[in-house]
Amino acid sequence: MLGYVIQRLLQAALVMLAMSALVFVGVHAIGNPIDVLISPDATQDIREAAIRRLGLDLPLWQQYLAFLGRLLRGDFGTSFVFGMPVLQLILSRLPATLELALAAVLIGTLAGVPLGVYAGYRPDGVLSRVIMAVSVLGFSVPTFWVGLILILTFAVNLDWLPAGDRGPLVEVFGIGWSFLSLEGLSFLALPALNLSLFKLAMMIRLSRAGTREIMLTDTVKFARAAGLSDATILRRHVLRLISIPIVTVFGLELGSTLAFAVVTETIFNWPGVGKLIIDSITSLDRPVMVAYLVLVAFLFVSINLVVDLSYALLDPRLRRGGAAA
Amino acid sequence: MTAPLLEVTDLRTHFFTRAGIARAVDGVSFSLAPGEILGLVGESGSGKSVTGFSLIGLVDPPGRIAGGSIRFDGQELVGLSEARMRAIRGKRIAMVFQDPQATLNPVLTIGTQMALALQAHRQAHGRVTDRAAAERAGAMLTRVGIPEAATRLNNYPHEFSGGMRQRVAIAMALLNGPELIVADEPTTALDVSIQAQILAEMKSIARDSGTALIWISHDLATVSSLADRVLVMYAGRIVESGPVGAVLRAPLHPYTRGLLDSLPAMAQPGQRLAQIPGSAPSLLALPAGCPFAPRCAHADAACTTPPPRIDRPGRQALCHHPLDAAA
Repeated sequence: MLGYVIQRLLQAALVMLAMSALVFVGVHAIGNPIDVLISPDATQDIREAAIRRLGLDLPLWQQYLAFLGRLLRGDFGTSFVFGMPVLQLILSRLPATLELALAAVLIGTLAGVPLGVYAGYRPDGVLSRVIMAVSVLGFSVPTFWVGLILILTFAVNLDWLPAGDRGPLVEVFGIGWSFLSLEGLSFLALPALNLSLFKLAMMIRLSRAGTREIMLTDTVKFARAAGLSDATILRRHVLRLISIPIVTVFGLELGSTLAFAVVTETIFNWPGVGKLIIDSITSLDRPVMVAYLVLVAFLFVSINLVVDLSYALLDPRLRRGGAAA
Repeated sequence: MTAPLLEVTDLRTHFFTRAGIARAVDGVSFSLAPGEILGLVGESGSGKSVTGFSLIGLVDPPGRIAGGSIRFDGQELVGLSEARMRAIRGKRIAMVFQDPQATLNPVLTIGTQMALALQAHRQAHGRVTDRAAAERAGAMLTRVGIPEAATRLNNYPHEFSGGMRQRVAIAMALLNGPELIVADEPTTALDVSIQAQILAEMKSIARDSGTALIWISHDLATVSSLADRVLVMYAGRIVESGPVGAVLRAPLHPYTRGLLDSLPAMAQPGQRLAQIPGSAPSLLALPAGCPFAPRCAHADAACTTPPPRIDRPGRQALCHHPLDAAA
């Protein structure tokens, strides 16, 4: 098992290396940050000095090697715009995104799985049709539109919930969280709901398909023949059997929401990393972009690792010998 | 003779498909005494499994019991509410399926699955503590010949061999002390040597506990070593029934004869195995009259009309030309 984890971590390092090279070249191709950072009427001397200070006078491969060298010492570089270490900058924004993404994926899963299981259990029921209609909406209606409608309904017209920002934070271990106070939760509610809609739709479809398939198997028939009630069969047999795809999608969705909650964060003015990356792209803040995308790669690889490890927990058949595969 | 445990009269289980009505079970009648072992034999699609599932009320849609009566210990099961049927399933009538690989849940320990089967009938037993459930489950595993039962409860199905898995399934069926076990081809997926062991054990368990057994199989040979009586099914009907020895020695129906002749054990060495020509008819397009007529060597013009019921002492057959008359 340990060997497996080490192997996966090495893979992660490779993915991150490849990612950093790609991003470095890609960002270099977008434009020259100096044009954005230095006012056009600055003297040639100031311009030259800035270019040298930021290391932009060196050839690209030397800049990249220097970046890698600093990275090995845990230094992601300094933001061109904010003048502070990039890692610190990203970490200061990460909790906001983390709680938003987790809240969204949890809402989507905790509501979506039971609804989907029910829809799979009674595929022809009226309620099931309503559930499936909701999931089609969740898939097809764009996030930004739903976000605006939510603000319009709950913030503007009904005035129940705040329209944006993070609200008051409760500090734990020196990090501020919104979800720890009731008022903070009211700020979290709308953006989390907005983000969760797509995940809800996905979880509904996934658990419906799994349930439909499993309800037809001999496992369920055998359990029925033993006199188990359908409720027990769904809870004890079906839920366990459909859990692997659900955990997989949970992980993927958590990763992509952490990385790309940009639209929702922008609409609800949520000060998370999504907004940070958009801002850094407009200002060509190369260190932030590179560090951010490398961290995203790391995030995905580690979430996938946790998901893979949880398979062994969920399916005993994968426990023995599965580690080597 | 004691009152029958099970009395099936004119059972009709039909599948209402888009292509038409498939009469999978069409007018089946038989009875079963307490503790009796009955073999139910037929080819694939003869309706033998559907008959078994009808007994415990688990016919998959679009199939349903379209008519007839199933009286179990004096109680009518056809039309019984799902809740009351569930109280009987697993408690008084248990079932063992063909493929234990597919029936046991791969992600739950067998201890958990057995506990669930016990707790499903807590109305009957009172509440079952985890410890009591484990004890009872362990005792059952020991009884079906699984060594170190107490530790095996923590194992998952994939940690058992095929034969052991089927023993687990049988132990689960025995768990609530049923009066009747319906076994649907339980040894078909197993090695021949394991088959023989399980047959022998099944027989002794049924005898010891006085459990009646309906053994569904396509294999006359396994049934002959196990059952007291045999029913031969063809195209949804029982074409011959009687004591196992008599039926095997001198079958009345040409179909039974065909089944017997196709057994390797009956053939002379070096001789080709006999086989029944043609294949089982589609249930959607049964020929008028005797459904076996197109494959039957004895068929003549009379066979286009429904076959009469032939009664011999203790035996019945549905045939225009019973084999004992021809001789």
